Amino acid sequence: MMENALALMLLFPLAGAVFQAGWGLSVGRRASGAAAALAVAGALAAALFALARCPVAPVHVSFGGWFAFDGFSAAFSLLYDRIAAVMTATVTGTALLIHLYSAGYMREDKSYSRYFCYLNLFVFFMLLIALADDLLLLFMGWEGVGFCSFALIGFWHEERKNVNAGVKAFITTRIGDLGYVAGLALVVASFGEASLSGLAAGAEVLSPGMAAAIGFCFLFAALGKSAQLPLSSWLPDAMAGPTPVSALIHAATMVTAGVYLLMRLDPLLAYAPSVGASAACIGAATALYGASCALGQRDVKRILAYSTISQVGYMFLAAGSADVTGALFHLQTHAFFKSLLFMCAGIMIQACGEEHDIFRMGAHLRRRYPGLFVLFTCGAAALAGIPFTSGYCSKGRTLADALTHPDPVFLAAFAMGALAALITAIYVFRMYFVAFFSEPADPARLHPDPALSRMQWPLWPLAGLAVLYGFVNPPEFLHLKDWLDHFLVGVAAPLPPHAAQAELFVESLDALLALAGLAIAWGLYRPARHPAPAPAGWLTAGLGLDGFYLKRLAAPYEKLAAFAWRGIDEDVLDGAAAGLASGVGGASLAVARFGGGRISASLLAIFAGAAVLLLWLAIGWN
Amino acid sequence: MRQLPWLTLLVFWPLAAALAMPLLRRSREACRRFALGAALAELALAGLVVLLFAAGRPDLPVVEDAAWIPALGIRYTLACDGLSLVFVVLTAFIGVCCMLTSRHDDASRPALYHALILASLATVQGVFLATDVFLFALFWEAQLIPVFFLIGVFGHGERMRVAIKFFLFSAVGGLLMFLAVIALGIHSADLPDGPTFALFDLTRLSLPVSTGRWLFAAFVLSFAIKIPLVPVHMWLPDAHTEAPTAGSLILAGLLLKTGGYALIRFALPLFPEAAVAFAPLLTILGLLGLFYASAVALAQEDVKRLIAYSSIGHMGLAVAAVVSGSRLALGGAVVMMVSHALTSGGLFAQAGMIGERLGSRRFDVLGGIWNKAPGFGAAFLFCILAAAALPGLSGFVGEAMMVFGLFRVDGLAGGFAVAGMAATLIYLLRLARDTLFGPARSGLPFPDLDARETALLVSLVLAILWLGLFPGPVLQLVASPLDAVAGHVWPVAGTGM
Repeated sequence: MMENALALMLLFPLAGAVFQAGWGLSVGRRASGAAAALAVAGALAAALFALARCPVAPVHVSFGGWFAFDGFSAAFSLLYDRIAAVMTATVTGTALLIHLYSAGYMREDKSYSRYFCYLNLFVFFMLLIALADDLLLLFMGWEGVGFCSFALIGFWHEERKNVNAGVKAFITTRIGDLGYVAGLALVVASFGEASLSGLAAGAEVLSPGMAAAIGFCFLFAALGKSAQLPLSSWLPDAMAGPTPVSALIHAATMVTAGVYLLMRLDPLLAYAPSVGASAACIGAATALYGASCALGQRDVKRILAYSTISQVGYMFLAAGSADVTGALFHLQTHAFFKSLLFMCAGIMIQACGEEHDIFRMGAHLRRRYPGLFVLFTCGAAALAGIPFTSGYCSKGRTLADALTHPDPVFLAAFAMGALAALITAIYVFRMYFVAFFSEPADPARLHPDPALSRMQWPLWPLAGLAVLYGFVNPPEFLHLKDWLDHFLVGVAAPLPPHAAQAELFVESLDALLALAGLAIAWGLYRPARHPAPAPAGWLTAGLGLDGFYLKRLAAPYEKLAAFAWRGIDEDVLDGAAAGLASGVGGASLAVARFGGGRISASLLAIFAGAAVLLLWLAIGWN
Repeated sequence: MRQLPWLTLLVFWPLAAALAMPLLRRSREACRRFALGAALAELALAGLVVLLFAAGRPDLPVVEDAAWIPALGIRYTLACDGLSLVFVVLTAFIGVCCMLTSRHDDASRPALYHALILASLATVQGVFLATDVFLFALFWEAQLIPVFFLIGVFGHGERMRVAIKFFLFSAVGGLLMFLAVIALGIHSADLPDGPTFALFDLTRLSLPVSTGRWLFAAFVLSFAIKIPLVPVHMWLPDAHTEAPTAGSLILAGLLLKTGGYALIRFALPLFPEAAVAFAPLLTILGLLGLFYASAVALAQEDVKRLIAYSSIGHMGLAVAAVVSGSRLALGGAVVMMVSHALTSGGLFAQAGMIGERLGSRRFDVLGGIWNKAPGFGAAFLFCILAAAALPGLSGFVGEAMMVFGLFRVDGLAGGFAVAGMAATLIYLLRLARDTLFGPARSGLPFPDLDARETALLVSLVLAILWLGLFPGPVLQLVASPLDAVAGHVWPVAGTGM
């Protein structure tokens, strides 16, 4: 039963992708979009079915071996536990809404079948990440989503800029993946196979050094995939792709795969506390970094991209504090409100005629699209952490985790996270006031299109979730039932009681910070002040991280490549071969002169040879 | 059924077909059909050998043995174990691909063109099947001849210069190996049964250490040129650039693999002491080659040259894995070689299609192909991803096994092998970007794949998927021969984790 549900969950989107590749263009735009949504709906149905029947004990499902050699083996095996159950339902649910939205968003694009093919393929690979037990199979999903991300960032590939953004994303995440492969190699060297269940069972026999080494390797991979420092620079550029792609891949699902990996590896990380502490500190630092950089952006999608970097940092903070439920909770709420915000941004951009600059939007957008405004308000409130929205509950929990962790290092992480919460509220409401209230001098002309209101329909459920989902796992002091914690009892460690007590303090602080941020943003960007964009600075450039990589790594490597080819390969190596050849040629010419048929030369050669021979004999005999 | 001389048929059927080709020289179509039929028959023969001897009731190795020059102990011995069989099937498959790959290159002398391809198939099959070292050396030298003419007569640009360069490089190495083979024969005269060239007997020969090392060096130099290992790789990019498409397929898919195969089959078991002694050097050269070739590939201006350097990089990693002493890595190297034959075969075939359509393969006239020919683009991207070792495609299986195996023996080498995966991806993405994407820089039309090209690429794609998802049969075939080799060379290392 469970086996079939899991297989169907994977097969639906895969079949959808195959269908789009083969027949998507010939069935027409509407049927193509419907088929794509149907494939994801099938996966969602399977995910919900499995979720409803998910026992506390994890379910192992194997679809046979993949390859085995000399004591090493890999298998097509899945590990379905309640964490995976929640994750798959979140992924497929969000993906379905984004597919529905995409049908409207891509209404004029001629490559719709390629788009839906990649999108379905992406869902397949993402589900593979969520379900896989064997770490090699998980890696198939891991690299698969990386490829889909590359292909969709560069979806409008006529422009080199877009393709370059995709290439950068692929290469940066692949650099992170080197950690994954190294981690795999270490696990394989220890166990002969690499599976989550095997790792959970065998983690205690690993030496602490080995556990930490494996943990750090996978952490590095997670940093790349989740665009955390120092591998964060690809995500802002990834906004070159279609906006629903940004919503699905670069906000709701793929970038959270790194966190998910850490959650799945939690049994191992229990034996490697240094890895958790590093994850938490990097996460908190990234949260601060992303929030600050978001302040310096004018492009609405880049604001949201930096915001994603920042919010995923909170998930790392929770996962590093070994609070799997907290990380999963924030992952879910973030998936809802961030995909909502991205899709709102997509409508805003299309409404303004492909204008991304919030300083050219303004109050007329709010007046013309009141529904959009309400939707955006829901998302913004959740992102900023306005009390009792979903983002408030989940972010507060991550901060409480850090504050109550026994390791003092986490205090620093807490401080950074709290500061980031304040900045988050500021950049959110900066965006909110500027994009929906200001009266710009040079506003973008609005392009009314009935499709734009149609595209808002799938967003309402997300808006509901963004506002209300917090009550699935409300903070302890409200004395309400925490469904998620209950669901994950026995799978993830429960929130320790002192953390529950700290929640009151943290949540109050969080509320205070959010409201303070709102007030500051109102003070700085309220319509009466006629907010004007600040000139591009360090924050706009992401503190120069991207520029640093381009100038110090990419450019020198290209120079090195050119030198290796022209300088070494052609000049030295080929030159040596050619030199040897011409040397042999010259020698043969010289020798040939003695055998050229001229009697004088031949005689000379004979006599000279005889002389040398005699000389040698004479010396040799002595 | 099992009694027929299948191995001899495998070697000499393509040669016989090649010799029959001149009869058809009047009609180009007849030549193509006959050559394709002959290649398909070869593939069917290989499949039949698999069915008869490897499936159901396995009965490997198959041996065919006859006296040839008894006075010198030279015998005509063909033997096919799992390792040989994998490469035999690969050769037959690539042979079919060669016949489908181009309708431009064979314009002038179709009979000669197809005869040369068939002849090179025959010689390569000989290399993969011979276990008499003398016979092997003969096939080894013989495989140069058809490829030399294939490049020299049917190539582009400076084809004669390049053909001679290829020949000189290969012949120098081959000559040294031939001397080493003769030296082995002389040493074997001390054996109780008199002189012999049988591989199995020669591996029991106890050579003085220094002699063993010199002979090993001679063998390895010859193989390293063929593989090719940096720094003796200079012939390959030139040869690929000027070779006709089928020639590139044979070079990348088969000739390079004979080098890797021969390293495993002959160099390691014949000189185990020297192999262990030289392993660090070969590992360094292989890994250095991986990074060096990856960097050089990034700077290339011609599609085919880029793919040629990618071959050097991939094979460098394979060499490092072969000599590492880990069976897992050794198995991975074999899978990687098969996978590389398929992926680079696809890439070279498509590079040839680009050249035929646009008259140039230089990046500065490429770009925007996806929009003009999405089918072509999808297949090209697929091969690129397979070469980049995306899990699920063939490249990953070999890459993962090699990396894991290298890590078991030497963390540093393993680390470099892992890092190579990033260097590989960089130039491969550059290849995709500058051909498929961006603005179209050539005004010429770019028709999408026709039926023949579709058949070629679909079969390659299916093979890549099959090897990527279900490599079990291949691994099963190569397991026991590789175990035998590894057990002989690294007698105690086998159990090591």
